[in-house]
This record gives sequence, structure tokens and C-alpha cells, in this order.
Amino acid sequence: MKNWTELENSSFFDANARERALGMVDKGTFTEFLNPLDRYCSPHLPVLGTAVEFDDGTVCGVGLLGKHPVFVVSMEGKFIGGAIGEVNGGKMVATIRLALKAAADIKAKYPEEYAARRPLVAVSFETGGVRLHEANAGLLAHAEVMDAFQDCRGIVPVVAVVGSKVGCFGGMGFVAAATDVIVMNEEGRIGLTGPEVIEQEMGKDEFDASNKALVYRTTGAKHKYIIQDCNYLVEDKIGEFHKTLAEVAEIPMAEIEKMRRIGSLKLVQEQQELVKLVGDMQPKDSMDLWKYFGNEDPAALPEMTTAEFLKVVKRRVRS
Amino acid sequence: MALQVLEFEFKSAATQEIAKEWSHLGVTGSGDLEVLMEKKALNGGVKAKVVTPVKGFDAVWEKMLGKFVTDTGVGNVSIEINDDNATPIVVYMRLRQALAEATAKEAE
Amino acid sequence: MEELDNTMIGRGRDAIDMIIDKDSFQENIIDGYSFDPDYGPGSVVGTAKLNGKPTTIIANDAMAFNDRFPVVFGGVIGLEEGYKMATAVYRTMEADKDKPLPEKRAIVLIVDTPGNGPGKMEEIAGMNKSTGGYQLALAEARKAGHPIVAMVIGRAISGAFLCHGLQADHILALSKDFGTMIHVMPLTSIARITKMDIERLEELSTSNPVFAAGVDFFYKLGGVQEIVNQVEDMREVIIRHIDEVAKLKAEGKGELLGPWGRGILGNERGGRTHRMEAIAKVNAEFAAVADKYINA
Repeated sequence: MKNWTELENSSFFDANARERALGMVDKGTFTEFLNPLDRYCSPHLPVLGTAVEFDDGTVCGVGLLGKHPVFVVSMEGKFIGGAIGEVNGGKMVATIRLALKAAADIKAKYPEEYAARRPLVAVSFETGGVRLHEANAGLLAHAEVMDAFQDCRGIVPVVAVVGSKVGCFGGMGFVAAATDVIVMNEEGRIGLTGPEVIEQEMGKDEFDASNKALVYRTTGAKHKYIIQDCNYLVEDKIGEFHKTLAEVAEIPMAEIEKMRRIGSLKLVQEQQELVKLVGDMQPKDSMDLWKYFGNEDPAALPEMTTAEFLKVVKRRVRS
Repeated sequence: MALQVLEFEFKSAATQEIAKEWSHLGVTGSGDLEVLMEKKALNGGVKAKVVTPVKGFDAVWEKMLGKFVTDTGVGNVSIEINDDNATPIVVYMRLRQALAEATAKEAE
Repeated sequence: MEELDNTMIGRGRDAIDMIIDKDSFQENIIDGYSFDPDYGPGSVVGTAKLNGKPTTIIANDAMAFNDRFPVVFGGVIGLEEGYKMATAVYRTMEADKDKPLPEKRAIVLIVDTPGNGPGKMEEIAGMNKSTGGYQLALAEARKAGHPIVAMVIGRAISGAFLCHGLQADHILALSKDFGTMIHVMPLTSIARITKMDIERLEELSTSNPVFAAGVDFFYKLGGVQEIVNQVEDMREVIIRHIDEVAKLKAEGKGELLGPWGRGILGNERGGRTHRMEAIAKVNAEFAAVADKYINA
């Protein structure tokens, strides 16, 4: 495996879950929970004849960003599409809750320095949601994560990091939406219903799942950035994600709260305005919205590099 | 339908021991595998365990792992593999990479 | 599948009447707030009396169509529906915000939904935020002390069940005799996607609760608190659970409720034991290194 310095300069998109976890935190600070040596595989896959992985497809652990403990969950899309089952779901929930425990411990021990030592949760999503092989347990785990995120509100920032092959879909699509801050690279995708299912429901004329450009325009990072569902759009380097997380770790909690898209009546009302716009406009394509938000030549946006895009893009104005 | 669990033991020239107490490489993805190597006092020998959904390749696994042990002289190590339909070429490549990882000096 | 004449599928509005005090439902009203009756027609929100107490009701209307969003019908939760349901929860909290814990009104979720809006416009606007927003509202209300009880009367399918049900304090379900469906995906679809043998899946589905569809298996996993065997019993059982939940909250035992409580229950019932073990191991492994991170 690449060393930390090499990882910082590597593509986030191409990295596996463990590489992402290591590289998102400061050099040499990552400790993995239930690492491969613990051999805690899913007990439900062998009876179905499905291959297992020692980390059950999710790397969880803790690292540092300066003095901030970072509780990391990193999903591996190559293993059963990064889907969530009983064991990796339990690991995920436990890791998030540990951030709250650490926050309480730090508050008690360093009441004057809490802001400088405030923990952070970072979840690198690469998943289609529930693992069908153990679907019920996976479903229940999703609800536990949502519950834990709500517990984190106003205490520790929860950051979604999305920029891997599988994207972030199914139930994990709304789990990501429920975080405080969303960081993506250009390749990142977040949605609820996968493209194939939309095609199946609406017909190929309405939505062609094999049209990769259309799929990216609908759920990709540039669209998410324009409609304000993505807070940071960064270059595809693990180091860029690391740097952004370090920045978020320093932002006061009151400011973090303002970066959210859901989680209060005011935010629901703001989203309802967007829904009304979409209902009235009946867009055929995300580009219709991009144009509405002031991008004169929406078709040019997908082709741009991240830097060019960030320079010219017009975003939805938040109320 | 259940997963196959194959276990093998090999004698080795044991010219090479791994540096780390344990080391891990790879992802159990379609056509790929993960390898966990752990230092063990096995009188120079090698123990291997393969967990795979593929049936009927016991002899191929034994041969390939045996070749890996002979080629590298690795000894006093347990090798555990979670496989998901990797081809022999991929298996052999991952074993070599895993050994390189396990024998490397601690990453900076 | 044989036709069931007693099923409650598609009868969310009837279920409201069976549960609440007679003729007490004020649709689209929560405290002083009125909802636009045309908005989010696939969901039903309002205030009823239950055992004499004001209670917020949130249900699905499987007979409604949403003119603006063509994929929303048959009980599907669309963009408007999710935000409408979330608003109902926030308005409920607002109504009781100055009241002490025992006076926080209950929220009853009547669940019969096959899914979240699966369309293109839904993805463009971000359906994930609508369903996620509703879940966060429920989690907040639960933690603020409102007893939340979900009653599954029909379909509680995958993400739609996560949206409307799985953030409740307690979940109740009509027994499978009523055609009640709780699952992520039908076996035929699982077989197609995972490429696993359907016969083997059917065999396993009779024994493996983490995988098998149905109310009884969700019970074993702690996902369903109690199974209700008669439609006529729904009202009494819901009232009993609201009281139980309120009592636990008053005693500061919120951890026994909601998703985390269901994890504890699933472990006790033996359906979900590995989750608890994994959590304990993660906690122990962090404890061993915590100093380095707390005192960085």
C-alpha cells in the first residue's frame, strides 16, 4: 500500500476504502477498529455462498486533524457494492457514537479548549445502501445512523465525503443528505433511486440509464454544487479531502449548522421552494435548473475542469 | 451454495520471514481477493486458508500457493485469503504484492 | 398470492378512523397551523384525539395522485409528501415547545407505503433530502419527548419504511394474516440482483431473520415491538405503547426506544446479536487508544 505522502497526492476516486481512511487524516494517526486481523466478517454471507471480507467492507477508525479526533467510516464499493449489513452497520454506528463520547470526555477535561479539540465525524460513502444478503439488519442499521447523526447535531460536525466509483445511493443517499457538510469531487454522485430503477419506472425515453452524461447531470457533484447540496467541490486528490476536513474541523458549530440542507423547519421551507420550482418548471434535465439559476450556457459546465467550473458557476441562492 | 474453506500446509526453505507482525492487502471484489499474512512460529512452514465461493479448484489453489512458497522461500507465516472469483494470475500477483507489503520496512 | 378480504393495504384513512376517538380527526390542522390541502396529497397529516388527548396523525393515502409529480401514487412518498410530513412533526414540536415532558403530545404514524418517489424530477430536486428531512424531524421530536408510535397496517417497504416508521419510539404491525408486508425487496428481485438461486433463497428465507421478509422476522430482529392480531385491537395497543413510551421517557430511559432501543431488543430476541458484539468490540478497541486522541 502507498505511504501517507503518496496517498495525499493520489486520486481519491481510485483509492480503496482503507487508503481513503488513512489519507483523510493526519500522517500516521489512523487507528482502525475491527481491522482485518480481527477477522470480523459477516456471519450471514457464507450460507449464501457470497465471498466475505475481514473488515466486512467498511473501514472504521479514528485519526487526528491537528488536535481534533476524527472518527472515520470509509465504505468499500468493490465489496458487494459497499452495501450495509449487520456487522459493518454496527461498526458504523459505534464509530459515530464514539465521537459523541469523545466530545463529552474532551469537554470535561478541556472545557477551555473544546473548540480546538472538538471531534469530527467523516464518512466516505461508497455504497448502494442496504446489503440485500442481510437486508433487514442493513435497513435497521440505516435508521440507527440517522438517529446517531441527530445526536451529533450542534456537538460534533458530521461530514459526508463522496467521490468514489459506486457513488452514494439508496438509503445511504439520505444518510449523506442528513450530514452537516458534504464534500465531493467531480466524480461524486449522490441520489436515492439509482438510474436503472428510474429507467424501469419511467421508461427509457424519459430516463436512459446507459446515458452516463445524463446520469452525472442528475446526481453528480456539479449539479449538487449548483443546487447547494454540496458544500465543497474539490480536486480529485485524497490530500484535498484531508485539507477540507481540517478546515471544517475549525469552523464554529453555529456556522456548521448553516451549511446544512435539512434538519429544521426553516430548511424544510427552503427545500419546499426548490420543490415548487421543479414542480412548476417540470425540468427534462438538470440543465434546465442550472440555466434558471443563472448559468447562461449550462451545456458547457459538465466539460469544465473543477477549477474552471468553480470560477464561473452560478448557484441557487439560499433563502 | 455455502462458501468453500480450503486449508493447506507447506514446508518451506524459509529463507524469508515477513518483517511485520501482520500485514494486509487487497479487497474482496469481483475477480479479486484480499490477503492477510501473519507471522507465526511454524517451524519454517507456511499455513494457508482460502475462503472462496468457487467450487472444485482445491488442487489449483494448492499448486499455486505451493509455487508461491517455493518461489519466494517465505516461511513462518500464515496466509489467509478471502477470494471472490479471482483468476490464478491475479491470485499470484496479489500474493507477491502482499509479501512485498509484509516484508517492507514500516511505512513512513 | 390469495386475495385477502381483511387486508388494510390502501386503507390508511380507514385506519385513522379505527384508531382515534370517534370523529375527532382535523385533517391539515396542527395547533394553529393549517396545511394547504392540495399539497403532498399522498400523505395525510392532522390532529386527532386519542383517548381524549390531542395527537398528531401522519399517514399515507394510497388512493391519492400528485398532479405535479406523476410517480407519486399508491402510497408513494414523494418530494412534497416527505416535506409535508416533516412539517407536521416540526409544527407538533412547536405546539408543545413550552410544555413539560408529560404533556408533549404523541405522534402516531400509520404506515402503508411502497416506496419513495422514484422519478427523474425527484432526483433532480433531491428526493434524498425530503425523506431524510422527515427522518431528522422525527428523531428530533422523539428526543424532545414526544412519544412516537408507528402502526404498520400494510406495506412498509425499504427506504419508505426508513422514512415513515423506523424513527418511531415503538413500531407495531398488523400480523401477516392481514397481508402486512415489511421487507427491503421481494425475493425474486433479490435473486435477480444478487444472482443467487431463488430456491435456496426461499429455503433460507424461512429461517434467517436478517434476510427474510415479513413481520415475524422483523419482530425477531427487534424491528417490530409488538404484533397486533386484530384490527379492532390497534387502538388499545397504540394507546398502551404511547403510555409505555411516555413512561420510559419520564424515567430518562430514551436509549431503550427508537432505533437504538430496537438494536437492544434485537439482541435480546436473538435475531441481531452480531451487531451488538461488533459495537462492543469497536468500543473496547477505542478505549484502548482513547488517551492518544482525547489528549492529542
